[in-house]
Amino acid sequence: MTLLPLLPTVLFEKLANALLKKDAESPERLRRLAGKRIRLKLKELPFTTTVSVDDAGIYISTADSDDVDCCISTELGVLPELQDTANLTRLIKADQLDIDGDPMLAQQLVGLFKSLDVDWEAELANTLGDAPAHWLMTLWRKSRSHVEKRLEESKRWFKGVVTDEKQLLPTREEFNEFKDNMQQLRAKVERLQRQFGERKS
Amino acid sequence: MNDRKDDSIDFGYQKVARSEKKNLVANVFQSVAAKYDVMNDLMSFGIHRLWKRYTIDCSGVRKGMKVLDIAGGTGDLTAQFSRRVGPEGEVVLADINDAMLKVGRDKLRDRGVVGNVRYVQADAEELPFDDNSFDIITIAFGLRNVTDKDKALRSMLRVLKPGGRLLILEFSKPVSATLNQAYDFYSFNILPKMGQVVANDADSYQYLAESIRMHPDQETLKSMMETAGYEKVDYQNMTGGVVALHRGYKF
Repeated sequence: MTLLPLLPTVLFEKLANALLKKDAESPERLRRLAGKRIRLKLKELPFTTTVSVDDAGIYISTADSDDVDCCISTELGVLPELQDTANLTRLIKADQLDIDGDPMLAQQLVGLFKSLDVDWEAELANTLGDAPAHWLMTLWRKSRSHVEKRLEESKRWFKGVVTDEKQLLPTREEFNEFKDNMQQLRAKVERLQRQFGERKS
Repeated sequence: MNDRKDDSIDFGYQKVARSEKKNLVANVFQSVAAKYDVMNDLMSFGIHRLWKRYTIDCSGVRKGMKVLDIAGGTGDLTAQFSRRVGPEGEVVLADINDAMLKVGRDKLRDRGVVGNVRYVQADAEELPFDDNSFDIITIAFGLRNVTDKDKALRSMLRVLKPGGRLLILEFSKPVSATLNQAYDFYSFNILPKMGQVVANDADSYQYLAESIRMHPDQETLKSMMETAGYEKVDYQNMTGGVVALHRGYKF
């Protein structure tokens, strides 16, 4: 069990550091986070993951129990929601998230990779040569644009079917109106509860 | 296991004069130094890399720390420590065997691991360093070859800084009887043959298997560390106890 999480961790760390090395801006971004340590505790996993940053890259450990700057305890399914800071308070209130330390640190760490700007065509050219690399990248760009276009069309078609033709789901406008009404109703109920409580006492 | 102050001591399954063991062990490593890394990968199916990585993860190493890698051999741990302590820190690769030290030095220099690594030929029983000078000490697959293990543990405690930690990565006793049987078969029937084919030296690998069996088991080593003066001593079995990582602190 001790070694089980180690292999994917080591591979992921190697991949992450290899990616960071491909962007000339990475050393500066790493320098800003150097010395910071963040721990992630996922309910579904029997081990914790600690990420340490220094100016050469990141280190990921599943055996580190020393102090960290930020410790996040959450569930696997909640991770995508953490990208938007607006969700944090709601998740904490719902006991789906616990943050001990600097909450911005996790976003800064993710930003390290989101802001990567790698010239993949140049990288491929180093191994395959200029012409095959250019051909492959053109093919990739065309395929991606085609897939995105088809996905967008499918989404539009699906939305039309469920909201307009079959009327299985409300339209966005109807949903927003319903949400506003619900909020007003909740506020009224809370006010009534408060008044009732005051009269009772 | 036999570290008492009598005249003879274990060298694998043989009893030899206490004064002879160092030379005999030196001969073994002199013989295997050139093929050491290849044999490690073959014998452990590459798992030794994960054992060592786990040791690094448990070490709590940080930028600027001073690390002593005893019996550092071909420098696997030193290379990783060197990256992590950075230019402000220092890693001392110490080994009693000159041949192993040379192989390690050449390998690390070829890989560009330079600047914060120092190479010292040293006996773990009498470390040539000042008191309280290292934040972390590691000894990976080296303690079982030391003649007087208690003396070596005390010597390491002396050079460790208060708050520092010692990590001992060493072969140990498998926890399951079935695994133990399979491990015995592998060690005494396959390992020496691999040593013969790859390193042209079956005897050294026979010694390796025997020395593992004569090494203190997990609990014995733990109590030896406590007796030497380490605190908060614990250990973790890896690969079913084939290897154990002992950790102790100096406070």
